[in-house]
Amino acid sequence: MDFAFSAKEEAFRTELRTWLENNLPQGWLDGTFPLVKDTKDYELFLRQWQNQLYEGGWAAIAWPKKYGGRDATLMEEIVYHQEMVRVNAPALVNYVGIHMVGPTLIHIGTEEQRARYLKKILTGEEVWCQGYSEPNAGSDVAAIQTAAVKDGEQWVINGQKVWTSFGHMADKCFLVTRTAKFEKKHKGITCFLADMHQEGVEVVPIISMDGHHDFNEVYLNDAKATDAEIIGEVDEGWRVIIALLMHERTGIGAQVFTLEQQFNELVDLARQATEDGESLLTKQAVRKSLMDLYMKTRGSLLNYYRNLTKSLKTGQPGAEGSMDKLLVSELTKQLLAQSISIQGHQGLLWKDDAVVGKSYWQDNYLYSFGQTIGGGTSEIQKNTIAERILGLPKDMGR
Amino acid sequence: MDFSLSEEQEMFRNYVRKYLNDLEQTKIARNYLEGNDVALKSAMDGLAELGCMSLNIEEQYGGMALAALDLVPIYEEIGAVLLPGLLLETLSLVVPLLQKYGTKEQQEKHLPKIAAGQETWTIAWLESNSSYRPAGVQFNAENGLLNGKKILVPDAAIADYTLVVARTTAGREIAGITLIIVPTSELSVQPQLNIDATRKSAALVATAIPYDTTQILGTMDTGWGILQEGLLAFNAALSSTIVGSLDKLVAMVTEYANIREQFGQPIGRFQAIKHRIVDMKMELETARSLSHYANWAYDTHAPDRVEAIASARIYATEAFNKLADHSVQIHGGIGFTEELDCHLFVKRARFYENYLGSTEQYYEQAATALGW
Repeated sequence: MDFAFSAKEEAFRTELRTWLENNLPQGWLDGTFPLVKDTKDYELFLRQWQNQLYEGGWAAIAWPKKYGGRDATLMEEIVYHQEMVRVNAPALVNYVGIHMVGPTLIHIGTEEQRARYLKKILTGEEVWCQGYSEPNAGSDVAAIQTAAVKDGEQWVINGQKVWTSFGHMADKCFLVTRTAKFEKKHKGITCFLADMHQEGVEVVPIISMDGHHDFNEVYLNDAKATDAEIIGEVDEGWRVIIALLMHERTGIGAQVFTLEQQFNELVDLARQATEDGESLLTKQAVRKSLMDLYMKTRGSLLNYYRNLTKSLKTGQPGAEGSMDKLLVSELTKQLLAQSISIQGHQGLLWKDDAVVGKSYWQDNYLYSFGQTIGGGTSEIQKNTIAERILGLPKDMGR
Repeated sequence: MDFSLSEEQEMFRNYVRKYLNDLEQTKIARNYLEGNDVALKSAMDGLAELGCMSLNIEEQYGGMALAALDLVPIYEEIGAVLLPGLLLETLSLVVPLLQKYGTKEQQEKHLPKIAAGQETWTIAWLESNSSYRPAGVQFNAENGLLNGKKILVPDAAIADYTLVVARTTAGREIAGITLIIVPTSELSVQPQLNIDATRKSAALVATAIPYDTTQILGTMDTGWGILQEGLLAFNAALSSTIVGSLDKLVAMVTEYANIREQFGQPIGRFQAIKHRIVDMKMELETARSLSHYANWAYDTHAPDRVEAIASARIYATEAFNKLADHSVQIHGGIGFTEELDCHLFVKRARFYENYLGSTEQYYEQAATALGW
């Protein structure tokens, strides 16, 4: 048993840390950097940051060197997540491109497709979104109805996508469509690398409960795509979808480290905030609830390390990733709910009036409700764990 | 980064598991609760033959000089079968204390016998209407005489020696408490019924029983700090034992949910059942991670070892009570009977909840260690 990072891994950490200190925008680390979300300037800033990452060689460390990556080891990816969380680095605008589409292209794309798309993913010149969910296909992804029909040389696509993150910034879409109807709904699916800047694509914003614009609806009215834009085989897109999901090697590492950081920040909040001149940390109920969170936060970090050890030994991620996702998302929600609760009546104050700057806790609290829904709801994770890890019988209807 | 038990540790687990399977697992506990001490004695002899009792004892006293982490697989296996007796108290409370604070004479007298499986120990701490706090220790040991009554002493009837937490200087403070090694036969053992009949409690009464300084563990009046050090080892070990019980509970309900049919299908197909089992599994794995880490932190003197060990203990004891409850519910009517093992787990979970320290105190201990 050994929790140390190797000298090589620590050298990697120092290199990245130094680069971040030299490249993060002025005022980022001390919190004075002006940042107004949901604006065009914000989007341009994120694209600029993505390009800076590319220039520095930090955009997609896990990709092979020949496609612009670093061939990073699993442990180097862990260090990368830790360091990015530590400085609360700007959001990765091309998250979908870097972590999902790129690795899938490298795995099962054609050499032409790799040449056409990969570099632009790295530089942020082409930002990607994913077109999975539909109004009637949420947890049940295979129930998608968006139809792609071959018309001469072209495919004509009609339907509606929803919960499309980055859709309003995206240049390209990993679009899942139905090209044929078989008895098994997993068959007859085809995945396109579709262009978002065309007449048949309309993006409509969805405002989330935290007041931000993260998601969109995407309407497809006679949108067009070509054979060259198909990834994988026609009607065999389900395999591509599975392959795409398998590329998240380090699972929810970033969320695990974020949770740890938020816990430490919550303790600081309890220490500093006072009620009638007494620190909240002197209150018995607060100490108890923080201890409860301490145990669970440590527990989920250690669970993650234990699952990671298994991945390091077997060379592939296991179904335990579902356990990490379930635990960390539920715990994040619990922690952020506590962060509001222990502030008492003042916890209500929002935005500029919040006690802690920029409504940090209130915004994160409201945002956290999405974490147990997006990327597979907690209920879906539980089904996966029950069936794949415990060997319990499958649900009816599947 | 390697957060896993080693191959050797896992291999040792398999020997212990196979041996306990041959003894029909909880059959040992069931025999013991019916008053059959022989079954337990023979199980303990077998475990000693496998080397379990000598694992963490220094080589010069016939041990293997291994660490807390090496005991983890053994504890998980004995937890799975709810092994009765004093293995945990002897190996992970008394042995670390004897090795760290015992005199050469005390070590030579006791450690070889413990390593050979010929000597077991219990601890006498609680008193009537007392707490686990220093103020609760009023059992008098002034002037070389033991006077007083201890209650809820675990399995005193089968303990060769009792570590008595006594007061050598009157008061309610930490100072003035001394740990005294007493042959249990010198004390009057009065059985007390407790809800977990697979662990037998007793009151121990002493009226002017003489002792001398060779029986003091560590130094006079400083026993409290020594006891706390011993409890670090004990609580890390206890958390591992409970993890073994949790693992067994998850296996039991999973098996039952796969075979029990209602409405024409296995009940494990209903999400009300399967999701509850997943919740149990999540708590099991979190308890396991905390427990493995606690033992590692103990062995390596990690800076966070106090809070790590307290966390492992609190989390495990709380999870144990919840999971045992779920196991009854998932089994339905049959889970409510004495026939199945569920009730044994429910009762052991309660036994451990406030065993050698209360949950409330351990919460506070961890919070203080964290600098809160």
